[in-house]
Amino acid sequence: MLASQPLSVQSLSVSGNTFPIPDVVVSDAENEIVFERRQKRYTGEVTYTEVTDTVLNVMNPPKGGWWALLFTCIAMVGIGAWAWTVQIINGIGESGKSHPIMWGFYITTFVFWVGIAHSGTLISAVLYLFRAKFRMPIYRLAEAMTVFAVLTAGLFPLIHMGRVWFFYWLMPYPNQRALWPNFKSPLVWDVFAVSTYLTVSSTFFIVGLIPDIAVARDRAKTWVHRWLYTITSLGWRGSHAQWKHYSGAYLLFAAFATPLVVSVHSVVSWDFAMSIVPGWHATIFPPYFVAGAIFSGVAMVMTLAIPLRKVFSLERIIRLEHFDAMSKLILLTCNVVSYSYATEFYMAWFSNNTFERYQFWFRPFGFMAWAFWIMFFCNCVFPQLLWIKKLRTHIGFLFVLSIFINIGMWFERFNIITQSLAADYIPYSWGGYNFSWVDWGILIGSFGWFGMQMTLFLKFFPIIAICEIKEIMPPPMRGNDEHGKVGTDASPAH
Amino acid sequence: MMMREDAKPTKTVVGVFGFMDDLTKAITSVKAEKFPFTVYSPFASHEIEDTALPGKSPVRFFTAVGAITGLIAGFSLAILTAMDYPLRVGAKDIVAIPSIIVIGYECTILFGALFTLLGLVTMCRLPNLFRSPGYDARFSDNKFGLVVGCSPEQVKEVESSLRRFGAEDVEVRDGL
Repeated sequence: MLASQPLSVQSLSVSGNTFPIPDVVVSDAENEIVFERRQKRYTGEVTYTEVTDTVLNVMNPPKGGWWALLFTCIAMVGIGAWAWTVQIINGIGESGKSHPIMWGFYITTFVFWVGIAHSGTLISAVLYLFRAKFRMPIYRLAEAMTVFAVLTAGLFPLIHMGRVWFFYWLMPYPNQRALWPNFKSPLVWDVFAVSTYLTVSSTFFIVGLIPDIAVARDRAKTWVHRWLYTITSLGWRGSHAQWKHYSGAYLLFAAFATPLVVSVHSVVSWDFAMSIVPGWHATIFPPYFVAGAIFSGVAMVMTLAIPLRKVFSLERIIRLEHFDAMSKLILLTCNVVSYSYATEFYMAWFSNNTFERYQFWFRPFGFMAWAFWIMFFCNCVFPQLLWIKKLRTHIGFLFVLSIFINIGMWFERFNIITQSLAADYIPYSWGGYNFSWVDWGILIGSFGWFGMQMTLFLKFFPIIAICEIKEIMPPPMRGNDEHGKVGTDASPAH
Repeated sequence: MMMREDAKPTKTVVGVFGFMDDLTKAITSVKAEKFPFTVYSPFASHEIEDTALPGKSPVRFFTAVGAITGLIAGFSLAILTAMDYPLRVGAKDIVAIPSIIVIGYECTILFGALFTLLGLVTMCRLPNLFRSPGYDARFSDNKFGLVVGCSPEQVKEVESSLRRFGAEDVEVRDGL
């Protein structure tokens, strides 16, 4: 039994089970050496402490580069705020919106940011359910990106509506005319989908952060930090009961977030597909939008991860294998998106519908064809280079490609929205889009707003999931050297 | 030596482990002896969870209640508001079920997730801003902790047992 065994025995018997006992009690220093050596042998490169140190180093007091980035983002937000103020004072006519294109720049940018937001939860939840280990080093970044991108996207319906002070008309409440929002409208579905997505993604993100904030709390050097992280970690200790409930809850969050990932962009696509505008009224829209959102979102994760990895020396945690895995996901979704473009053209031809046929002639050959060809090059042609294995791990190439994909995906939404409205049924009402400086100012402001949130986040909270990285590392075992050897290093499982 | 039923555990013995197999053996033993204990680890481990607390987390019941509540709330909101001011729109029925499914679906997920969060904080007893006597900062970094509550007379025996199971460091603290 526990305390009744003599010190000299080599094994211990509890409830009929025999456990070996180390014959000598080694010193702390010796134990530490054995521990480190065994852990390094299993993981190849990093130990638990090195993971903790590497990730928390990102949160060290900021230097000049961080401040420069933050002030650049704030300046961009200032440009956007100025443009919006001008629009609020002078009216919606300050934007390029005019008949027939009443959904233009703002809805394009709204869909773009929702798309960016989409892949964060995909990487986090869907890949969690599929036990894809390559998600571990990047999922926190992707989740942060999701939350900040939805917060950015959420501004655009408000900006688009012009009289922003009446935003509450979208909310379901009994007003003085006893009229409720029309729950049969895709626009109201969208309000529910995006707000649910924001709430669930934020919850998922914050719950994932709690154990890692506790790590930061235990390493805090000042009382201010300790206080901040004690509050934000809710006093997490990592007891066996807490981890048990946490693991159960996390799985359930992932299970809820997964259908949400599919539904949110499907509902956004219904904003278009439920109408009868040529180029919009297509049943392929939901899967096409979902694939496009994953495509652009993973590209944005790369755009963010590559400089962060370099600046904060995260090469040992975000490894080339992870970029290779992300590149394959980009290549897959690129081909799904390209196939969807081709299907749209094919269906327009096959339908023999004059207006559909004209719309899909207008896109590549009309007066806004430049937008179509930018999209085509960035989304369909350029990413095909990822078939070359060397380029999938060429960091410089991937960074350039990820920016091109994001440009291409913005233009995809621009093509869908603007080109369809520019040339619909009646030639009398055809027209182009007049870009205004207010449009561009607000677009710049949105990137500044998103960048500012990301910049602040990476200095205050762990940008890589410390606990989950440790979870995929094989645990240190004294007695069984074979344990954890198969597929358990910190690199992804292929 | 077993934890006596009448003995009041007023002392905490903290065992710091570097190896998981040492820890799980110690947990099994402490559990068999009916000592109150808590295991701390820097990450979620099924091995530890299954040894220390077998079975499934009841958080899922919170989730189920939330999801059902959300489903009912979503459908009710859309149906009752449509009936409150009957206005035919887009040649649809006043209560057009296909369009209501979207609202019901989103509310199911929303309420399910929020109730899961409620279940998580309830079961984990969060927030808990006061330090537990057995907790050590190393348990969030690279060590595992087995914290055993015992009476003052049992401290020495528990301490030596934890060392024999491979604890690198053992500390005795007041309180539980």
